[in-house]
Amino acid sequence: MNLNIKSEKAQTYDAIVVGSGMTGGWAAKELTEKGLKVLMIERGYELKHVEDYKTAMKDPWEFEHRGKISNVAAEEHYATMYFSAKEGSQHLYTNDKEHPYVQKRPFNWIRAYHTGGKSLLWGKHTYRWNQEDFLANAKQGIGIDWPIRYEDLVPWYSYVEKFVGVSGTPEKLAVLPDSHFLPGMAMTAPELHLKKSVAQKLNRPITIGRVAHLTKAQPQHLAVGRTDCQFRNRCSRGCPYGGYFSSLAATLPAARNTNRLMIVHNAIVKEILLDDKTQKAKGVRVIDQNTMEVREFYAKVIFLNAGTVGSTSILMNSKSARFPNGLGNDSDQLGRNLMDHHLAIGARADIDGFENDYFFGARPGSLYIPRFRNWGNDKRNYLRGFGYQGGATRADWSRGATETGFGGDFKQKMTQPGPWKINLSGFGEVLPNPDNRFYLSDDQKDKWGLPQVVFDADFGENELAMRKDIMNDGAEMLEAAGFKNVVAYDNPVAHMGLGIHEMGTARMGKDPKTSVLNKFNQVHACKNVFVTDGSGMTSASNVNPSLTYMALTARAANHAVEQLKARSL
Amino acid sequence: MNRREAVTRVAWILGGTFSAPTLQAMSRWEELATKGKLQPQAGSFLTETQQAIVARVTELIIPKTDTPGALDAGVPDFMEVMLRDCYKKPAQDTFLAGVVDLERKGFLNLPPDQQTTTLKQIETEAQKSTSPTFWLITKELTLLGYFTSEVGVKASFDYQPIPGRFEAIKIKPGQKDFMYGNQA
Repeated sequence: MNLNIKSEKAQTYDAIVVGSGMTGGWAAKELTEKGLKVLMIERGYELKHVEDYKTAMKDPWEFEHRGKISNVAAEEHYATMYFSAKEGSQHLYTNDKEHPYVQKRPFNWIRAYHTGGKSLLWGKHTYRWNQEDFLANAKQGIGIDWPIRYEDLVPWYSYVEKFVGVSGTPEKLAVLPDSHFLPGMAMTAPELHLKKSVAQKLNRPITIGRVAHLTKAQPQHLAVGRTDCQFRNRCSRGCPYGGYFSSLAATLPAARNTNRLMIVHNAIVKEILLDDKTQKAKGVRVIDQNTMEVREFYAKVIFLNAGTVGSTSILMNSKSARFPNGLGNDSDQLGRNLMDHHLAIGARADIDGFENDYFFGARPGSLYIPRFRNWGNDKRNYLRGFGYQGGATRADWSRGATETGFGGDFKQKMTQPGPWKINLSGFGEVLPNPDNRFYLSDDQKDKWGLPQVVFDADFGENELAMRKDIMNDGAEMLEAAGFKNVVAYDNPVAHMGLGIHEMGTARMGKDPKTSVLNKFNQVHACKNVFVTDGSGMTSASNVNPSLTYMALTARAANHAVEQLKARSL
Repeated sequence: MNRREAVTRVAWILGGTFSAPTLQAMSRWEELATKGKLQPQAGSFLTETQQAIVARVTELIIPKTDTPGALDAGVPDFMEVMLRDCYKKPAQDTFLAGVVDLERKGFLNLPPDQQTTTLKQIETEAQKSTSPTFWLITKELTLLGYFTSEVGVKASFDYQPIPGRFEAIKIKPGQKDFMYGNQA
């Protein structure tokens, strides 16, 4: 198809989906499978599943710096400086120098501007939120109440879980509701020992991390070309097996199979176009990131799935007589209540013994310890809670750098598995706070003339109070298992964005005066615009958010199609 | 808490399996975060004699035995690339000062046992330091260069690029460490 056709009719679709990542893929899949002709707009370059995973099959010696980031690359990727970018995956992270942003307060804005977005780079931990997550705001008078409850999402959680493929072990815990599981991954011997000790001495359950990996591919996975996880743990280079869930491996092939999906790349959405007569969105205006050409596309319904900050920025930049402060911003809530998960804190220890225990394979996951604080009868001097990811492994050759010795015997020793060590790393809930926000700069623009994002957010007293428990409780559990040299740590440089779970800034709510989106993720005052990524979140839970975004997206897409059929949009 | 310890903590937090050179890199990133700018370096900064000293030191750390050594794995050239591309000037200066010190001691003309003794003295001194030393930089780059090289991996480990499963197992006598090639 020739996208340069200028006529409005030729550029008109049933639906436009902005963004091709975690939720954009779901919007495209659901809308096309329900019969809509969909245009997906991706601001970055085209990345093809399998064939563009150039580093996926490379051996360590094929990397010039053996995986390390060079000074030049570090300068270009400053937002990822404490994160996982390595030589094999750095090309999948957005170059921050080319895509600058302003940090009024420090913020790591980690992006992936290409097909698949951050669904290629995510940690893959996949958890349902619980009943309390949707009730706590109202009970505690924090922020505003959610317009939905856990029960509203249950059928949609089930629906997306079956297609995603979530490995895990059922535990029947109210705090961490079970998903539809593929077989859970194994624990190592010291991990099993920790699980038993913590259950006996502290009455806290430990389960294997629930990750979006195919441990036993089902027909719906094979149908889109995915196969079982190979336990290489080279995930962030892209998985040629489709072993983990990404939009590239799963939802986009499903959408393409309908022959109703069209994708345009390198197109940065500048703004949503409003029809003056109907006060509905009629399309979007885009800038080609390479040619600077400005084009317009039109549709009956628009899904914003550009990532939390991306989607809200588009709304902010969509100004009109009706919406002088940004589309849907009657409440002045756009950009506010920016949340993340706070992390980089926990405890670690050395493990004596277990010399005869080992493991085969590189497990792309960890243990999971569900929230136990402020749960049941537990009451703390702060609100909400935290969970841990972590696990035990044996030290490899790199331990040799700080061990005494060199020479032939030393070389030989480094070829054998080293001692066991263990780490528990906390992930805490961040409360919504209207003063934690981002906005668009008045004077600083990017090379496409679009205003730069200014971040002005940080953790508050509640988060800091919680962090003491995260350290102490982590150390307590490692001590309960009898591990030695237990160290509780709190990384002093951690700040928002590092969790890459940015949420909020266009929150859902019942009242248009205090929220941007309604219970179906529609902009209150412009109902044919749906925002179904993290920006709609009214609170943050302490578990990883992607599964909830996906469930909300499938639910919203279903609603959109019903409304279109009923001619209510 | 000194910076190295802080950085070590970060590494633990973010997965726990970072190697020493990564800690170096993260340390550098931390400085980048606070100071904002890095100057990439270019070109070799060692004389031929100094290159010979570095080669000799790496071969003493990882000597050729019944398996290949540092020289077989091309470690000296690799070290120069890494120092140039991935280390900042203070670390480069520390490294260079260490090489110059060995040059002053006539390291290349010492008999092998005295070369080993000299390195042991340097190692003992280095253990007193809280900041990266010539010894630490040299050793971690030698280990990285050797144990991720093709000859080093194949001679040292049970390399499993596609394991296909994950399971807890009991160790076998003489078990080599599995390597999965996912460090990059």
